[in-house]
Amino acid sequence: MKPTALISKNLQLNYNNYSNNYSKNKGDSKALNGLSLTVPEGGITAILGSNGAGKTTFIKCALGLLQTNSGSLQVLGQPAGGKRLKQHVGAMMQGADLPDLLSAREHLTLVCSYYQNASPIAQLIEQCGLSDFVDKRYKTLSDGQKRRVQFAAAIAGRPKLIFLDEPTTGLDLKARQILWNTIRNLSQNGSTVILTTHYLADADALADHTIVINKGKTIAQGTTDNVRNIASGTVIRCQTYISQRTIKSLPTVKSVNTSGRLIDILCNDSNTTLKMLLELDPHLSDLTVSTPSLDQAFEQLLNNCSTTQGLTQ
Amino acid sequence: MMALKNEIGAEILKAIRAPEFIAPTLLMPCAFYALFSLVFNNSTNNSLYLLATYGVFAAMGPAIFGFGIGIATERDRGWLQLKQIAPTPAYYYIAAKLVTTMLFAACALMPIYLIAGFASDITLTQSNWVSLFAVHISSAIPFALIGLSLGLMFSTNGAIAVSNIIFLSLAIFGGLWVPAFVFSSWMQTLALFTPSYHLAELALSTVNATGEYTPITNLLTITMMSILLTVLAIWAWSKGH
Repeated sequence: MKPTALISKNLQLNYNNYSNNYSKNKGDSKALNGLSLTVPEGGITAILGSNGAGKTTFIKCALGLLQTNSGSLQVLGQPAGGKRLKQHVGAMMQGADLPDLLSAREHLTLVCSYYQNASPIAQLIEQCGLSDFVDKRYKTLSDGQKRRVQFAAAIAGRPKLIFLDEPTTGLDLKARQILWNTIRNLSQNGSTVILTTHYLADADALADHTIVINKGKTIAQGTTDNVRNIASGTVIRCQTYISQRTIKSLPTVKSVNTSGRLIDILCNDSNTTLKMLLELDPHLSDLTVSTPSLDQAFEQLLNNCSTTQGLTQ
Repeated sequence: MMALKNEIGAEILKAIRAPEFIAPTLLMPCAFYALFSLVFNNSTNNSLYLLATYGVFAAMGPAIFGFGIGIATERDRGWLQLKQIAPTPAYYYIAAKLVTTMLFAACALMPIYLIAGFASDITLTQSNWVSLFAVHISSAIPFALIGLSLGLMFSTNGAIAVSNIIFLSLAIFGGLWVPAFVFSSWMQTLALFTPSYHLAELALSTVNATGEYTPITNLLTITMMSILLTVLAIWAWSKGH
């Protein structure tokens, strides 16, 4: 059996434990509703879920920032939030910013001094692509540059386990690529990376394992390939004047989404669907047929989450 | 220890890079003192009183605003969350802020002492100056505890508003600007519940001026208040956590 970096069993957390606004806004009373998941040691695990699914809440519980009402949560073999864990865990939190009046170098000098086994600052600067702005005050940096400094601070202590909460938000393409490469390097050097993201492309490109959560519950977990394969069927992408409503009414079609001028049709049987589409629109163009992406699997899981059984591996 | 040293360094850098913090906290007490002790003053007794009370006032600004607004801002921005997950103890952060506060309080006191020593009619022995400085600089501690609680309980905007109200109330009711004995009786009663009043009395005792209470009573009262404020700050920290 593969060693685990994190195991949660039946975590329950009420909204009113930490935010009155949540309970007022949502009607739901539980932020985590029996969440159980396992993150294997090493590799990159993506936690996916729509807004309010419980991703950030779970990470806060794992970091000891929130206390659950019930359930168990073991991180690197110890109870979450334990003092000894802190030397081995790093985190880049959504909405956790650094003070404005220090430069990136000054921030890293401070953060590195917290850890017994910190990375050399010069290495962090190079690794995270900070050299162009390392001596500028944090408040003068762009959002993307700020995210890179936050990331460098999160990995400063050479953590065994690192939580990245929406790490690529606000990053341009180049910065995103740098971050992807750094995350891959971290993983190759033995760190376990747990990332939450809205960009499913990030999960598709990076994650060895994927966990999908919805309304505080795990609805699927396994290797990213396995989770992707939950979306059975084929995706037809094309440009057509047929209305979405008409396409949806075709018997072989499972779901329809527009993507700019193109339309994505998830169907059970691509041959039959294509024949029907061509009968309705002989001028159908820009046609491609592919297997479903993680986005489509995710969407299908959310649509069917009331009936879907979690895939665990 | 390296973490604590860097934490203190970072706090000092943050403070000196915020002119909106430095200008009012360092210059205002000195400007007020110069105005009231040199322009509107005609007695040595008044000079001693003003030196003792304005010294407490000078230490109060960096403590209440530096802690209250500083911590509220950093808590709102999520910096405290990152501190909580870091392996260093939380008291490093608080200790670094306290050291910075005391440093800035000392900076605010120096021009007041210079004015008192060279431009007014005050004559104090070396031991008087040392005891006065010790009381003034230590007075930052109870005020910092008030600031810490405010910073942990209120958002940035809330902390700005509440810190200003508390700062002015402590200055007025504590008798830092106008002696408490000229107050109406209910204001005199209220003054007894402010740390600023007892700190001012303690400062007065170091310059051989007599207060309403004995220094030991003032000291015990301030200690009790500081213990209560520490409990409040711990409660606010655990609530925020």
